[in-house]
Amino acid sequence: MKVETRNQSAVGAWEGLSRFMPQGVTLFATGLSGVLVILIGLPVAMVILMSLRTGFPGEDVPFTLENFATVYFTPRTYEILLNTLFFAVSSVSITLLIAVPLVWILMRTDIPFKKTIYVLLTIGILIPVFLRTIAWILLLSPRIGLVNKWLQELFALSSPPLNLYSLTGMAFVQGVSFVPGAFFMLAAAYRSMDPSLEEAAYTSGVGKLKTFLKINIPITWPAIAAVMVYLFMTAIAVFEVPAIIGLPARIHVLSSLIFTSTTPSTGLPEYGMAGAYGAIMLVLGLTLAALYVRLVKQGKKYTVITGRGYRPRELALGRWKWAALGFVFFYLAIEVFIPFAVLLWASLLPYLQLPSAEALSSLTLKHYLEIPANVGPRPFINTLILMLAVPTITMLLSVLVSWIVIRTQVSFRGFLDTLVFIPHAVPGILMAVGLAYLGLAYRDYFPLYGTVAIIVLAHTINWIAYGTRTTNSVMIQVHRELEEAGRVSGASAPRVLGKIILPLIAAGVLNSWIWIGMLSYREVTMSLTLLTRNNVVISTVVWQFWGSGWIPQVAALGVILILFATLVVGTVRFALSRIGEIGSAS
Amino acid sequence: MKIVLTRIVGVFLGLMVAGTGTSFGAASSIDGLIAGAKKEGVIEFYGPSTLGPEGAQALADGFNKKYGLNIKLNFSPSGNMTRDTAKIVGMSASGQPPEWDIMVVTDAHHGSLWLRKLHQPFDYAAAGVSKERIEYDRGTVSVANQFALPTYNSKLVAAKDVPTKWEDLLDPKWKGKLGVINSTHHWGRLAAGPWGDEKTLDFVKKLSAQKPLLTRAGEMAQRLILGEVLVSATLQDSQLHESQQSGAPLAFADKVQPVISPEYHVGVLKGAPHPNVGHLFVIFMASPEVQAIWKKHTGHSSAYVPGTDAYKFAQGKQVVYMKQDQAAKVDKISRQIGKILGFN
Repeated sequence: MKVETRNQSAVGAWEGLSRFMPQGVTLFATGLSGVLVILIGLPVAMVILMSLRTGFPGEDVPFTLENFATVYFTPRTYEILLNTLFFAVSSVSITLLIAVPLVWILMRTDIPFKKTIYVLLTIGILIPVFLRTIAWILLLSPRIGLVNKWLQELFALSSPPLNLYSLTGMAFVQGVSFVPGAFFMLAAAYRSMDPSLEEAAYTSGVGKLKTFLKINIPITWPAIAAVMVYLFMTAIAVFEVPAIIGLPARIHVLSSLIFTSTTPSTGLPEYGMAGAYGAIMLVLGLTLAALYVRLVKQGKKYTVITGRGYRPRELALGRWKWAALGFVFFYLAIEVFIPFAVLLWASLLPYLQLPSAEALSSLTLKHYLEIPANVGPRPFINTLILMLAVPTITMLLSVLVSWIVIRTQVSFRGFLDTLVFIPHAVPGILMAVGLAYLGLAYRDYFPLYGTVAIIVLAHTINWIAYGTRTTNSVMIQVHRELEEAGRVSGASAPRVLGKIILPLIAAGVLNSWIWIGMLSYREVTMSLTLLTRNNVVISTVVWQFWGSGWIPQVAALGVILILFATLVVGTVRFALSRIGEIGSAS
Repeated sequence: MKIVLTRIVGVFLGLMVAGTGTSFGAASSIDGLIAGAKKEGVIEFYGPSTLGPEGAQALADGFNKKYGLNIKLNFSPSGNMTRDTAKIVGMSASGQPPEWDIMVVTDAHHGSLWLRKLHQPFDYAAAGVSKERIEYDRGTVSVANQFALPTYNSKLVAAKDVPTKWEDLLDPKWKGKLGVINSTHHWGRLAAGPWGDEKTLDFVKKLSAQKPLLTRAGEMAQRLILGEVLVSATLQDSQLHESQQSGAPLAFADKVQPVISPEYHVGVLKGAPHPNVGHLFVIFMASPEVQAIWKKHTGHSSAYVPGTDAYKFAQGKQVVYMKQDQAAKVDKISRQIGKILGFN
């Protein structure tokens, strides 16, 4: 009670100094909201416009509900919707089953080789999903899958036991590929968690597993829920796995329908139909956004970083160390080692073959030597621009948005949070089509069509939802008393943000910066939709090679990029590890 | 007699004038294009990725040498012809100029452009281009022919099992072992040509019942090589050419007829920023020297040019070529076929 009285009186004294602060914050929040409304709203408006028209962007045609009638009066739409939900729920479940224990092991225990594992997880992100999917085809295809062949031989089975070409197979591949993302989103929350509750449990004789289930998971529930919401929407919107595994087997989900509507096998795209399918995602996304806002409102209950001094302590695993290492390396094997081995193998062959003595005798470095001639310097330069500009702009905006949403009393902060979540409710391909439409139809006002800047913009809009989810989840855990202490000391709101909050969340921000850079590097759908000859990036080159069936060339390019990125990521992580420690321990 | 003689002389003179006029017209039109090209100085060229930067440079060198020019060629390799054709339609609809001056895409894709009047026609015949290579109301010129046939993995399919007619693909022994690529216009061409709608749709329905794997052409070639698919119902010879160059065991079931022949056409786009160099390049693309370059880099040549590999391959075979009056039909039925097979 005494503390509250002192705080109240102190705040009362501070009010005199900061009488104008709320107005300043509100003004700033209004300006930021205005910028974001334009940034996010225009492409979304274009998508809505698209769903209400037939023909092509820019064509002078009347508004119609024809696309909605076609989509919603077709029973197949509902079958596909069910497929989509099953795929999304299964993918997220598989991700969380792996990611939550993984993040707990790495953030809360004394497992060895942490830095190596962390770097390997980052490398996992760098392996394009479709290349990983090819690796899984080589392993789990009913006809040629090595694992199926081994199992058949081992158990004398008459037919292959595993079938990758199913919704479950798709969900498995997608779920595994989501794990690094979930890991990075959850890492900051687990790293910053007050260990006193854990310690109390251990002192009371509660086992490690029970503590994990009864303490760690409930405490980090807001972060887990945010990850679930985010991944669920991502699973609905992704198209690479559904395209490579689902489409060949006629298993359609919403994203592949949108993809085939905008990129049909023949004839011309039906943007209106894509918009109508996208509207389903939009509704789902907005519903989930509302759910998320509710979670954030309840976030105060889950505050775990307080002004009380603490130092997160690692749990000694003891004899469980090897089991934990086994789990981590099993995951790394399926996420990194096997796909990388497949890439390396494929890159050294004249054409893609399963391992054999004949294949071994034909190994060649030809595809590596041909990269400069096949690719040229421009895609590399453009990709570097993306990898630096996208995470920087995204995280800058995310921190500002989260600060308003979580740390201020601005009346429309809920709207702002929902606004930045909207891009995640809109599939990337639709967002890119919306931006392309904007660039084409209003070139005089929006002269970005055909430039790298339009891809930077698309990526920034797309990942601002991710950025703010991360910054929200870490800011929720910074107790207000720290901020209030700063204000009592006479610091202005921006100074409190810069000197108190930012250092506390630096680790989370840095993680997200790296992660968004990696996402931008490997993103293909939006880059492809906005592709012109001037804004070619590596991912679109890779996709074009893949479309042409140049698998060994793609693999060689992939190997070089992964090795280069490993070097960069390893160096960056090493150099910035001190900042990470400050961010997590303060 | 005098009247007859006068008439004969008159006709003769008339023919001379007409002849001189034609050749003068061709020369003057080419001269005009050369003069215009010199001012434009650059060409934005869209073509199949199989051409590669080296092939594009070889074309540029040949073009500059032939016309004494120093034109810079910017090559945009195709990643997805359907998407890029749509992009041209979209840009035109929004009043924007096209990104490229000329596009080398299949006749089916040019058909989509032609239906929307997005070519810039030119009297290529007057410039010496063979009339049978000119399509789409003087909007395009045929460059080379692809051939599409059932394709198999020669290591995994025994000679006795290789299909010899289209109907062999419907044999139950292939169930679950077939592949179908997303170029559904292959079947659309058969529907608009020798098979007609009914036979084609019936065939496609039965093919779909074989539960084939569905992918794009490049991907299908890889799945064939790996053995995941034993026979692809159709595959273009470009994939076959590339795979065979790398030593991969792919082969055409070349006894199957009719042979489907999608054609690469080149045409100047409406509103192209460099129309003179564009038209001149289209004329150049019809020349014999381009056949050698195209063959070397893409593996394709024109079935209309005697002596080429494509010409020889087509001899004695029933080959299905698509004409402009079939464009709308092919476009429509290909979508229907895509739905039956499960692509859409």
